Amino acid sequence: MSGFRSLRRPIGRRTVLQGGASLALATAFAGSSRIAEAAGGKVIIGAFADGGLTPFKEKIIPLAKTQGFDIQFLEDEYGVTLEKWFADAKNAAGQYDLYLLDDPWVPQFGAADLLEDLGAGGIDAGDSDWIKSLIDMGWWPPQEGPRVMGFESAKPKLICVPFVGDLQTLTYRNDVYTKGAPATWDELLEMGKAGVAAGKIKYPIVFRGVSGNPIVTSWYPIFLSFGGEFFDDKWKVAFNSAAGKAAADFFVGPLKQNAPPGVVEFDSDQEGAAILGGDAGAIIQYSGNALKADDPAQSKVVGKLDFGVVPKKEKAIAQIGIFIAGVPKSAPNKANAIAFLKWYVSAATQAKLAEAGSIPVKRTAFKVPKPGNRLIPVALKQLDSGALPRPRTPDWAKVEELLGIELNKALQAGSGGGAALDVAAQKVTEYLTQMGYYK
Amino acid sequence: MRSARRARLQGAGFDLALPYLLLAPSVLIVLAILIYPLWDGLRASTQFWRYGKPLNDIGLDNYLALWSDPQFINSLWVTVRFVTLSVAIETILGLALALFCLREFRGIRLLRTVLIVPMVITPVVVAIVFRLIYASDAGMLTAFSEALGGTPVQILGQPLRAFLALVALDVWEWTPLMFLILLAGLQSLPSEPFEAARVDGAGPWRTFVDHTLPMLRPVLAIAIVLRAIDAFGTFDQVFVLTRGGPGEATRLLSIYGYDTAFKFQQTGFAAAMFVTMGLIMLALALAAVRLLRRAGPS
Repeated sequence: MSGFRSLRRPIGRRTVLQGGASLALATAFAGSSRIAEAAGGKVIIGAFADGGLTPFKEKIIPLAKTQGFDIQFLEDEYGVTLEKWFADAKNAAGQYDLYLLDDPWVPQFGAADLLEDLGAGGIDAGDSDWIKSLIDMGWWPPQEGPRVMGFESAKPKLICVPFVGDLQTLTYRNDVYTKGAPATWDELLEMGKAGVAAGKIKYPIVFRGVSGNPIVTSWYPIFLSFGGEFFDDKWKVAFNSAAGKAAADFFVGPLKQNAPPGVVEFDSDQEGAAILGGDAGAIIQYSGNALKADDPAQSKVVGKLDFGVVPKKEKAIAQIGIFIAGVPKSAPNKANAIAFLKWYVSAATQAKLAEAGSIPVKRTAFKVPKPGNRLIPVALKQLDSGALPRPRTPDWAKVEELLGIELNKALQAGSGGGAALDVAAQKVTEYLTQMGYYK
Repeated sequence: MRSARRARLQGAGFDLALPYLLLAPSVLIVLAILIYPLWDGLRASTQFWRYGKPLNDIGLDNYLALWSDPQFINSLWVTVRFVTLSVAIETILGLALALFCLREFRGIRLLRTVLIVPMVITPVVVAIVFRLIYASDAGMLTAFSEALGGTPVQILGQPLRAFLALVALDVWEWTPLMFLILLAGLQSLPSEPFEAARVDGAGPWRTFVDHTLPMLRPVLAIAIVLRAIDAFGTFDQVFVLTRGGPGEATRLLSIYGYDTAFKFQQTGFAAAMFVTMGLIMLALALAAVRLLRRAGPS
């Protein structure tokens, strides 16, 4: 007690009150200066690290600065961004003005009602220049296709706008596939084997085999090209149809046999190394690694990689996987973020984006005289040939996980793709039943 | 006169209240950062969450659902195997190293320092290094194998090998902790029983079994409990090395809980999982303490 007594004199009540008041005032001033600082053209953009955003970072951010936007670009590793941004938006933390989401996350943010209505903010979704399949992904609930329970009669809002029109295309070695992009899977494997025999490559194909999102992303274009359908219009699982099983058997069998032996553990860094390092003859990939094809600092096969539409079985359909921008309701510079988006999706900026080498989201931009990358016209060709998004459900991550685990097990075994789909279908059905999809 | 009395009373009251007032911020901070999250987690575990919001109270349904979820059962089993195997190996290696380093010889101080280096490296960095060792395309083991005319070494793509590779990583990183604790324990043992044993002609093995081990038992138990609790919550290394794959071969509870909470956004179910995990760890710790008491001072 004597210790407290000795403390009392130097720190009197008045001193404590004065100190507290000073602290409060200092905090208040600090807060107000932050608000003052936030006004103007500041836009805090959150993104996950991906090569597909390199042209935006290098060319468009400096361009935006000339328009008065003060862009703060915060990058994170893909695996942590969803949780980080969801927590930011849900807790109204106000750390970001704009999220560059992976498109399957739109339903999660939409169902939780965390993003601004950009249509109400003045972004014109009716502009005929939009690539329809891309702008359609910005609505929640979706304007077309099945809707999840609780949103059947909700009025769709435009909560996101396409940012980079990324989708899967084929990258292939032009010294192996000398007649151009292989049109079918059989052709891809046959010519690839000839390339291996000629010592030009080590493996005809490379893909991602890691459980979860990576393996499902690799399998999806094969599944689509075999004519598979994931869900019916009542959310009943349909991926274990005959077409789906044939696609899975082909994936874990012939495709694996023609891929690097460790493909089960391959993620995007390893598949990128295999194609850019000259080991693999072909790959289906997003733009992130494709954009590196002509960069001698990143590719050992400069001039030997060309792009084409994905091979077909029944059809040549790729998976769309765009960067899509949403403004959180808690954004500190909301008006700036929306103004930035309006500028970004304008025809002039989209043309600059294409010239910078990124895949635009407006049709006219694909036609610029000098696109910054050879991939851009191929991307439009793929969009027109056939490209589909993943099912628009907030539960996609779990569905993908359940399917990915079974596909990965079959890939390890090198057989049993069809049986794996049956097991996955049962697990997905059980999960969706628990979540109330079939009531 | 009246004002002097009032001042005296106020002074006495302030004296009484002052300690509590000074303690209040700390108590509030503890309540805010320790008790409230615990309470909130418990509450969330009894709710059904959708789209980041609690929809309704469901009592213990999440806890019951855990035991019919094959993924949870699998993760629990993987975790138990991982903790048992890694802690057992770390204990044996840590004890062996501690016994070796108990002796004084030239360079022993340097050796003791070098031996604890793995423990001070950030787990994420350790995992990245091990990934560079294990990777089948450009990993160190594959490079060695190919240099000797062999084929790429497949580790992370095969369930058993990936699991053992994860155990090996954990053993490399955390054996030093066991070594450090056990060395401190050995150094604190009284010398008289060992001298008596030597006089009686006991060999090293007999001395170890009859004297070292019984006397070291309390320290050993504490080291094992601490390490087991820590191993139960292993996350970073798996997240970087395998993300739980291949298939579900290395999916520990921590990874499944993280995915459930953040990727699948089933907050209530994940909270139930983490509470269950906490209870398991608490049970482990209590069992160890009981064992320790039963063992008594030898």
